[in-house]
Amino acid sequence: MKNKTKNPRLVIFIVWLVLIALLTTAVILLLPPGEKHETIKEVMRDGVLHEDNKMSFFSLQVNPGVISAYTVTAILLLTAVIIRIFIIPRFKTVPGKIQAVLEWMVEFFRGMARQNSHHRSGFVGAYIFCAGIYIFFSTLFELFGFQWTTTAGHAMTLPAPLSDINAAIAMGVMSYSIILGAGLICGGIRGGLGVLKDFSLPISMSFRLFGALLSGLLVTELVYYYVTLSFVLPVVVGVMFTLLHAAIQTYVLATLVSIFYGEAVEPKAPREKKTKKKNKATE
Amino acid sequence: MNLPLNIDLLQILLHMLNFVILAGGLYLLLYSPICKFIDGRQKAFEEAEERNRLTEEENLRLKNEYLLKISSAEAEIAEKKKAAEKEWADTSAAYIREAREKADAIIRAAETEAEDRKEHILESVQTELGELVIGAAHKLVSDTVTPERDCALYDEFIRLADEKLAEEKASHRKTDHKA
Repeated sequence: MKNKTKNPRLVIFIVWLVLIALLTTAVILLLPPGEKHETIKEVMRDGVLHEDNKMSFFSLQVNPGVISAYTVTAILLLTAVIIRIFIIPRFKTVPGKIQAVLEWMVEFFRGMARQNSHHRSGFVGAYIFCAGIYIFFSTLFELFGFQWTTTAGHAMTLPAPLSDINAAIAMGVMSYSIILGAGLICGGIRGGLGVLKDFSLPISMSFRLFGALLSGLLVTELVYYYVTLSFVLPVVVGVMFTLLHAAIQTYVLATLVSIFYGEAVEPKAPREKKTKKKNKATE
Repeated sequence: MNLPLNIDLLQILLHMLNFVILAGGLYLLLYSPICKFIDGRQKAFEEAEERNRLTEEENLRLKNEYLLKISSAEAEIAEKKKAAEKEWADTSAAYIREAREKADAIIRAAETEAEDRKEHILESVQTELGELVIGAAHKLVSDTVTPERDCALYDEFIRLADEKLAEEKASHRKTDHKA
């Protein structure tokens, strides 16, 4: 009997809440759009080129991506310090949930390095771990919508660092430098020349990253530009697309770097001509 | 330097610096300690596996040794059993032989003793019989013999003896006459 008397009250309460939510949404949707200081074209162009909205970084005029990158680094390093101090010393033989996630992250990149670079995988494992963590979390960074003031005085949401072409180029060049360095160290001049043949690698790496991240940024910018779309769609578009291309780009860059690194450090077979000459000489 | 797409070398370097800082920090704070822990655990597991393998081998060796000992012990037991049976059979045969010898000796002794006793009994019986006969005869004779009868008998005997002698003398004379 008591249940029967309680249920109608609960239903009335839920209906009341739904009504409030619906009316609030309707009011917000019917509000006139806020004053825009940029057109959608300008927003998209700035999203790609970052020509207008500059930010100050130690008195330097930089793209928002630089601020985002250093913010992400600060957050990641702070998290790493907390993990190092509070979690890693409590690691157990049978891992708990957090330990399992951390071990999985390390083992994923280390395993990928071992799989693609059979001969020397120690350094590349560490590199793709750091690069992977950076790409993944810096891409997710745009979801949080941290605000920063531009030099023009406008508030601006910090974008993903890699949506700045300079960050993408930096990643591509660093990855290529590591591959080239490994080729030179392990294979000498011949190994270095082998890597130099793939001179398009840094360009492809950089622009792949930039294009993938930029596409996410543009979609998000487009969605957020229109107020009416930003109530429902960002949840799906923002989170899903960002998560998806964060994971994909992390995986792609880590795989490419480990494969090219593996090829660079692979021991080269002796040249046939020399061996033929030697054989003739011995005959 | 004005490059297309707003590419700026300074900003590229800033991004590189940022990544180098991050990579160093992440390597020192996360990657290296976690790798060390995982490797240590894996090494511990490998050592445990190796220990288990050695223990298993040792157990297998002990089992084989045990089986070998059991089989050799069984063979030894069978051999000892056989030897014991043989010894028992020999001992029992010796006992039987000794018992038979003893029995034969006893029988022989008994027979000898019985023979001796028989002879002795016979002797004593003969003596006793003689005594009894004599006794009986004495008793018999004592009832009929008196001094007068003895004298009459002696007289009769002498008379008969004289007659016998006279007859023999007469027969001798006749034979002499004939000759």
